[in-house]
Amino acid sequence: MHTDARSLDNGTTLQGDLCIVGAGAAGITIARELANTPLKVLLLEGGGFEFDPKMQELYRGENVGLPYFPLQAAALHYFGGTTNHWAGWCSTYEPIDFEKRDWVPYSGWPIRREDLGPYYARAQSILDLGPYKYDPADWKNGDDERVPMLGDSKAVYTKMWQFSPPTRFGTRFRDEIVNAPNIHLYTNANVVEVIANDALTSVQSVRIRGFDGKEIRARARRFVLACHSIQNARLLLASNHQAREGLANENDLVGRFFMEHLEMPAGELVLADPAKTSTKIYALDFAKRTPRGELAISPAAAREHRVLNGTCSVEPGNLGDEVKSTFQFLDTTLMNAQRAWENGGRKGPPPLASAEQAPAPRAEGLPRFYHLVSRQEQSPNPDSRITLSTEKDALGMPRAKLNWQMTELDKRSMRTFYQVLGAEMGRTGTGRIQIHEWLLSDDKSWPSFISGGWHHMGTVRMASDPRQGVVDANCRVHSLNNLYIGGCAVYPTAGAVNPTLTLVAISLRLAEHLKAAN
Amino acid sequence: MQLDRRRFLQVSALGVAAAIVYPACEGSARRAAEVDKPHLLDMLGADRVRAIGKRYVASTPNENTADALRAAISKSRNQSRVPLMPRSIDDQVREDFINGNTVLVDGWVLSVTEARQAALFALSA
Repeated sequence: MHTDARSLDNGTTLQGDLCIVGAGAAGITIARELANTPLKVLLLEGGGFEFDPKMQELYRGENVGLPYFPLQAAALHYFGGTTNHWAGWCSTYEPIDFEKRDWVPYSGWPIRREDLGPYYARAQSILDLGPYKYDPADWKNGDDERVPMLGDSKAVYTKMWQFSPPTRFGTRFRDEIVNAPNIHLYTNANVVEVIANDALTSVQSVRIRGFDGKEIRARARRFVLACHSIQNARLLLASNHQAREGLANENDLVGRFFMEHLEMPAGELVLADPAKTSTKIYALDFAKRTPRGELAISPAAAREHRVLNGTCSVEPGNLGDEVKSTFQFLDTTLMNAQRAWENGGRKGPPPLASAEQAPAPRAEGLPRFYHLVSRQEQSPNPDSRITLSTEKDALGMPRAKLNWQMTELDKRSMRTFYQVLGAEMGRTGTGRIQIHEWLLSDDKSWPSFISGGWHHMGTVRMASDPRQGVVDANCRVHSLNNLYIGGCAVYPTAGAVNPTLTLVAISLRLAEHLKAAN
Repeated sequence: MQLDRRRFLQVSALGVAAAIVYPACEGSARRAAEVDKPHLLDMLGADRVRAIGKRYVASTPNENTADALRAAISKSRNQSRVPLMPRSIDDQVREDFINGNTVLVDGWVLSVTEARQAALFALSA
């Protein structure tokens, strides 16, 4: 059932077994898993069912670190969350992403890749993907030319992506959520504080505040903060009436280790003989959403060279083209156009597809030149963090302050990947690689077009040791026995690929844990 | 004509030497032509290869003449794992990549041999 929280009286207290804060991919996935169970689930969504600039403005924040996209445009604040404008790129994290790597400080998850296997398989259908298969051989689609480059390489392999339509959780699952008898969805219910007991060992309630100053409480036996990574950290840090540094922040970890995926052009490929090397499997067909591959550094090579995990897309073009990073390419205008196209019944080609498929005119014949656009994990870095701004939003909550920072390992890893790739291209006679000049300079500086992919991760990280992470392997806050964190905030490392499939898988796992705990 | 044992050995030795030297001479000529025409030309075109060559020469002062570059390529060739077997320039380039004998020139990840070829090409232009 659904209630607009604005219709409730000031001072109302909601009561449930489980209270989920945030109705994006994580919150909706968890709620759906708990639908039709004996549990009374309160699902609190700050926004409504539609985009509302006034609500979105609550996400505005400060940026004091490396150049970053405006925070109010980096995540969406209404039912369905950021799935309302995501592009649908899905792939699985690799086993090495979960491992403790002695050359990657703060790496290592308390769970293994195989722990997520069954949940990945289930997440595939939730995101309207194909079969749970990510081997290039599974995606030849009857075309013998859809084969990976460098097939014999031990240093480079082809990592596959599948594409969600993309599933908009807000529209796709709205009826299911609203009609579930045990799920009580409250929209326009912005949580501004988490309130613990006096001993700070469990959460008692959350405080909800409206633009009109009306306040509501939600009480439950268990709570899940399922907002996006910046908001989860912001909410814990802003809950500082009982603990000066914020809740769950005894070890000064909340908000730290903010991570992104580095998505920026970094190299060029020239093929030795375009007639002998097929690049079909790397082609992006946004309209048909055909699975496609990217070249990736192998775990063996990552270990040998002591670098991070990373891939690169292979996009036809000309040497000397101006290639845009994700932040440059996907500006607010394009995102608004895409949203309008979807809301208007999807007539004509999608603006995103038109933009993606409009490279500079190429020479006649088979393409010889390709742009290589990196997609790399960011090394976990405690200095890359979310803190609170002194400025407050319309609800009186301190805004988020982002200080996005890199380490030397980030840049060295990207450069090394292209060197390895270049050696493999040469060894096999496939072609040659050119590394962009900015990547060859010192390891500390970054160009102005540094870019993430709006993949906020890691601000409430997972670790077995409370001194290393805020939540345990079950996403439960170490110091608060009934508070859980959903979403990418718990990722200890970022992996190289887009995070949503893993987010849904982890949410399914968390939901199973919550079911068993009740 | 009767051949005594000594004469037979002399003739045989000459024959073997000729069999080795003649193809080697022919191979040398072919190889010199290969060296002067880097495969990079097919991939990148003359202007880019020339630019790469100039950058290599500028960054490697002890290889800034055609003789020095040819000597360096030849020396590298003689370090083959199978020294008596003549290698094509393609083999040499491939071995460079396998053995990590690569160099970054203008951002391109190149085999040292092909970078030297590009330098030769630049000097000859």
